[in-house]
Amino acid sequence: MARKLLLENVHIEGINTYDVYRKNGGYRSVEKALKTMSPEDVVEEVKKSGLRGRGGAGFPTGMKWSFIAKPDGVPRHLLCNADESEPGTFKDRYLMEKIPHLLIEGMILSSFALGANQSYIYIRGEYMYVLRILEKAIAEAYANGWLGKNILGSGFDMELSVAPGAGAYICGEETALIESLEGKRGNPRMKPPFPAVKGLWQRPTVVNNVETIAAVVPIVNEGGDAYAQIGIGRSTGTKLISASGNINKPGVYEIEMNITVEEFLYSDTYCGGIKNGKKLKACVPGGSSVPILPHYLVCKTAAGQDRLMTYESLSDGGFATGSMLGSGGFIVYDEDQCIVRNTWNFARFYHHESCGQCSPCREGTGWMEKVLHRLEYGHGKMEDIDLLWDIQRKIEGNTICPLGDAAAWPVAAAIRHFREEFEWHVNEPKACLDRNYGLVAEKIFEPATA
Amino acid sequence: MTFDLKNNASNHISNREGSDTGSGSTPKQPITDKKFAFIDGISHEIKDGETILQFVKRIHGKELIPTLCDAPNLEPFGSCRVCSVDVALTENGICKSVASCHTPVMPGSYIYPSSERIQKLRKNIIELVLTDHPLDCLTCEVNNNCELQEVAAKVGVRKVRYPEGKTHLDREKDLSHPYMTSDMSKCINCFRCVRACEEVQGQFVLSMAGRGFESHIVKGSEVNFFESDCVSCGACAQACPTSAISDVFESKSVANTEKTRTICTYCGVGCNLEVASVNGKVKSIQAPFDAEVNQGHTCLKGRFAFGFYNHPDRLRTPLIRRNGELQPATWDEAYDYIASELTRIKTQHGPDYIGGISSARCTNEENYLMQKFIRAVVGTNNIDSCARVCHSPTALGMQRTFGTGAATNSIIDLKQADLIMVIGANPTEGHPVTGAKLKQFAMKKTAIVIDPRRTELARYAKYHLQLRPGTNVALLNMMLYYIISEGLEDKDFIQNRTEGYEEFKAKVLALNLDEAEKVTGVDRKLVREAAMAYAKAPNAMSFHGLGVTEHSLGTFTVMQIADLAMITGNIGRRGVGVNPLRGQNNVQGAADMGCQPHQGAGYLDVTIPENHKKYEEFYGAKLPDYIGYKIPQMYDAALAGKLKALWLMGEDVVQTDPNTHHVKAALEQLDLIVVQEIFMTETAKLAHVVLPAASFLEKSGTFTNGERRIQRVQQVVEPLEGTKPDGQILVEIMNRMGYAQPAYHPDTMLQEISQIVPFFAGVKWNELGDNGKQWPVAPDGSDTEILHTESFKRGKGKFVAAEWRETNEIVKHGQEFPYIITTNRELEHYNNGTMTRRTGNVKILTEDVLLIHPEDAARHEIQSGDMVCVISARGKVDIKAKVTDEVKPGVFSSTFHFPEIAMNNITSSECDTDALCPEYKVVACTIRKSKGQYKENPATVLN
Ligand SMILES: Cc1cc2nc3c(=O)[nH]c(=O)nc-3n(C[C@H](O)[C@H](O)[C@H](O)COP(=O)(O)O)c2cc1C
Ligand code: SF4
Ligand code: SF4
Ligand code: SF4
Ligand code: SF4
Ligand code: FES
Repeated sequence: MARKLLLENVHIEGINTYDVYRKNGGYRSVEKALKTMSPEDVVEEVKKSGLRGRGGAGFPTGMKWSFIAKPDGVPRHLLCNADESEPGTFKDRYLMEKIPHLLIEGMILSSFALGANQSYIYIRGEYMYVLRILEKAIAEAYANGWLGKNILGSGFDMELSVAPGAGAYICGEETALIESLEGKRGNPRMKPPFPAVKGLWQRPTVVNNVETIAAVVPIVNEGGDAYAQIGIGRSTGTKLISASGNINKPGVYEIEMNITVEEFLYSDTYCGGIKNGKKLKACVPGGSSVPILPHYLVCKTAAGQDRLMTYESLSDGGFATGSMLGSGGFIVYDEDQCIVRNTWNFARFYHHESCGQCSPCREGTGWMEKVLHRLEYGHGKMEDIDLLWDIQRKIEGNTICPLGDAAAWPVAAAIRHFREEFEWHVNEPKACLDRNYGLVAEKIFEPATA
Repeated sequence: MTFDLKNNASNHISNREGSDTGSGSTPKQPITDKKFAFIDGISHEIKDGETILQFVKRIHGKELIPTLCDAPNLEPFGSCRVCSVDVALTENGICKSVASCHTPVMPGSYIYPSSERIQKLRKNIIELVLTDHPLDCLTCEVNNNCELQEVAAKVGVRKVRYPEGKTHLDREKDLSHPYMTSDMSKCINCFRCVRACEEVQGQFVLSMAGRGFESHIVKGSEVNFFESDCVSCGACAQACPTSAISDVFESKSVANTEKTRTICTYCGVGCNLEVASVNGKVKSIQAPFDAEVNQGHTCLKGRFAFGFYNHPDRLRTPLIRRNGELQPATWDEAYDYIASELTRIKTQHGPDYIGGISSARCTNEENYLMQKFIRAVVGTNNIDSCARVCHSPTALGMQRTFGTGAATNSIIDLKQADLIMVIGANPTEGHPVTGAKLKQFAMKKTAIVIDPRRTELARYAKYHLQLRPGTNVALLNMMLYYIISEGLEDKDFIQNRTEGYEEFKAKVLALNLDEAEKVTGVDRKLVREAAMAYAKAPNAMSFHGLGVTEHSLGTFTVMQIADLAMITGNIGRRGVGVNPLRGQNNVQGAADMGCQPHQGAGYLDVTIPENHKKYEEFYGAKLPDYIGYKIPQMYDAALAGKLKALWLMGEDVVQTDPNTHHVKAALEQLDLIVVQEIFMTETAKLAHVVLPAASFLEKSGTFTNGERRIQRVQQVVEPLEGTKPDGQILVEIMNRMGYAQPAYHPDTMLQEISQIVPFFAGVKWNELGDNGKQWPVAPDGSDTEILHTESFKRGKGKFVAAEWRETNEIVKHGQEFPYIITTNRELEHYNNGTMTRRTGNVKILTEDVLLIHPEDAARHEIQSGDMVCVISARGKVDIKAKVTDEVKPGVFSSTFHFPEIAMNNITSSECDTDALCPEYKVVACTIRKSKGQYKENPATVLN
């Protein structure tokens, strides 16, 4: 049985309350860190653990922490990114909802390590009920002396509060998150300066994902080395995966980063195979922003090796034949699903969520949606496929924040692997509509409005 | 179709296509501490902190990299991505495209500003932008002067490949405002306007609403320009690369090709203007970005309020009073009449029966001529200027302490300052461009505001010491007290650079704190905190305005401000000093040129024999060696029959000088009043001869701004038919009266001035350049940004303690008239408003109002909008009330821009004890709800 470091106790009755959490070993790591370790020691353990950011980019957390600037007399901040809005990703919500004290415990450790005395959890606006759960847990933590002044007599002070977003995916981008937290419009900032130098209120700031911060708890409890034992290569520890799509058992799973995609997809411990005995058509392994993989590249790499659920293996083959672990949003498509329709759906999302600062992203996401819409609804031309390719090329790498890339990649991958399906939409619009919309197809087959 | 194959997740990096990279002959990085980077394979030295764009521009000019969201006076923003360039970290390494406008140059990096890949990218971006832009360039206001059009042409976009889709071309135009316009269908979301409003003006009117494709510029909470908080500075219109935001004068239209650089006439900031004219008429005004004073910024007066210059009300012919009525006459008739009258009075009574009042709105050359005319041709020292009624205490006070009566530093020093102290000034209204900079400062660093009103700046300031009018001296004594008693004085500076400290210290420490706290009404703890902040700041810079000078103890207050600077060592380097915010555009110059009864051109005391002799020799005339009348003394003399003639150049003393009844009565005693004016002012109506003058747009010369910067005013259009520049008028009358004065030309005039005014020694018209020079200008032409760096003009700085006492106005009338009214200005209007009331500005601000605190209003059952009657010992005025807590209980505040209110009916004849500057700022009064009707505003507007 695979080891669980984060969700081990999730099924214990009342684990979301302080008393039960504490009885089951909660806040042990804080005692350990504040009484026996220096902040540098904690950073050291995290470095040793090989923990990589769980927000999507997979940047080594220990290294990120060591970059934080420490000018004299300037406060530093830790911000927890709980804005989780990427289609296909819902692991942070699960964690916060079920076992909120784990996040708080991780926040205390991480703030201690960074010397941050005022930390915030920035939570997606739609997660209002989770915000209430967190607020209740924070109040309990304050009441029991885990937050506030001079925690455990260590001299370390820490205030923690939760701030809700207002319904914009872009606020999950770390600098937009900072702007939003400052009360401004959530527009990403230019970099440099990086948040580690000038973040919240121009002070050194670290932004970390919920899962990243929670993972610091087992790392402190068991030591960085022990954590690094789990997994393969530079993919250490466990990872939460949000599984969805045409599978028998959708849900959030904690995996050790050494299992194969095949095991994850087909074993009954995890997804339990494709629903209704259908065939696999494609898979988006890391949330809507990462390239889609055709069925023949899901379980095996282009070189014919088993694909593993790790950062390295999922990106094996680069963008030509690989994808990314991303935020761990594992979306499965069976043989009945339409790739053009799915790509249009994602494009519509990015178009809606672009903040509008950069001309390539503002206009480009709009045009990608328009062109995809046309293709999907039977009004496309062959040139449109090339045009799409062209637009995504112009956005990618040429914007202030990575949303532009995130919008471009799925389109690029879909065309790369499923070009015939796009061509089929151009050549046989009626047949496509029949497949995708059945009886209502007639109605839809009207001039596009958008 | 080719797919580019990505090798890893960080696929920002892909192989650079096409560009010819450096060959084997590429110079290797030299080993020095200088840093280098390569542009197209060639190594160049880089400067610290330079962005790639700045670097490439410096080497190759601005043509190589197109930009859209970048602007000369704004921080980089990085949103359009048109400025992208390819950068590799190693020779022939993998290229990454980055936005050059905000990316710092990496030493040793290889930059390819126009690789094939980049050129394609730029073209595609512009193509995308154009999909949502109306392609109606030919009928667009900015056709051929549009940055989008220019960039599109440069990157080679000819046609847009994208089929019709949803656009924003149906957005409505906003024509609500007298000056500002917008047509958001032309908007390309570059954020330049938003940033201009934020970074330049600090007004936060504009913002981007909506997301992505739906994002759009809004004013306030989606209102129009007129309803928004816009102060019409025009910065956004000038920043906008298209015609999306513009102005009614279409200042970005290419039709405005003929451009003349000149200086704004409205205030002592001295903004540089670029005036566009077409067929001899002024069309529009913009601000040059390279102007050191205003860096592309202006306020609405400078940019938009020029419509007065050819208004139908302009005087176009000389007038002579015949049978009690002013009737048209020829110039010859007018000159003859004046010459014979002046000669008669001079022979009958003597030259001292004649006086002159010069104008701080006129050029240095004209002021010089005016005093020369009165001194050398008439033969009296009865010459004064409107500086008397504003900054004479500044000149006197600073001369006493430092030896020079002028700002010690420059506005640009704000960059080095850590703290500002603003006393009795409302710069966001009175000196808008400097005001905007001070506001930006207050938002980021520490500001102390000392003012009875909660001004806009006070709202942003960390400390607002809201004192009772007339108690500046007591408050500053408290600050001095705390600095000394806390031991925060700069002992070295005091030791080495000053004198009189011990005596001063003893007097300050004897202060009765209880009394001071009581009379000022400001909590002593707050004063203490502010004093400590001022003393502890590494660089503290002070600014003051008429709220300091227009008081009975004005000169002493100025000296206290100077004392504060000296006691903390805040003088003689960047980012510190004492900086009066000069009221009118050339107050500094009028005083420099000698328009004052005790000092001649260049501040030489006329009673000292050596100076007297020098002036006599230089002018070739007999001059008196005793001091003449100051303005208030002229009125007294007139009433006593000791003054028979008065010559006023561009001054409306009836409306602007205090105690109108007194002024009018005095003028009515005179045998001869000559007025040089551009409009029929209240004073001109009393004149015997009116001479129609030319406005600043119609003449050349120099103005000296509040930073001692002598700048060139250059004629934009010919004088209106029938009018003459003031300087020419003066020269003609001088010649008519037998004094040979060469024709008026700024070049030759400056030559003459530079020989008599020591600190103008090296000033030459042709060498002043675009940004002028700050006096003193040495004979070799080098100028001076900061005064008193090594020693003070007078040797050592002199400490003199001042004691607060209640002004006579309150002592005499405080019982009967328990309220205090203080006067001030609003942004939209200038002084008595003769000019601004004849522009679109009246549509923005239409009347004077009285500010009254809610408590006082309740006591008298007054509501906002009610007409109230304010009564002082001299008279009364009816005015509309505005209930607000901007003022404290017991204090009212009002402007004096509209003659129908005639605020100076109630002001007193109390003056600064030493400089005789009138006390506008403290008037004892009472109030009641008005029975009178509000008089309709007769101001005419030029559309
Ligand atoms: C458009 C966009 C949305 C993002 N949304 C999230 C998010 O919801 N949660 C998150 O943890 N990171 C998100 N990120 C990534 C963050 O910018 C940042 O990299 C992350 O919070 C860093 O945390 P980590 O180092 O712990 O992964 C987003 C990035 C982009 C560009
Ligand atoms: S890439 Fe898109 S979302 Fe990111 S800053 Fe630019 S416009 Fe906004
Ligand atoms: S005119 Fe000035 S204040 Fe008004 S919106 Fe433009 S920048 Fe802002
Ligand atoms: S109005 Fe002009 S300056 Fe403002 S975003 Fe649009 S194009 Fe840019
Ligand atoms: S700030 Fe003064 S000088 Fe500048 S434009 Fe306005 S009135 Fe003119
Ligand atoms: S000019 Fe650099 S991004 Fe616009």
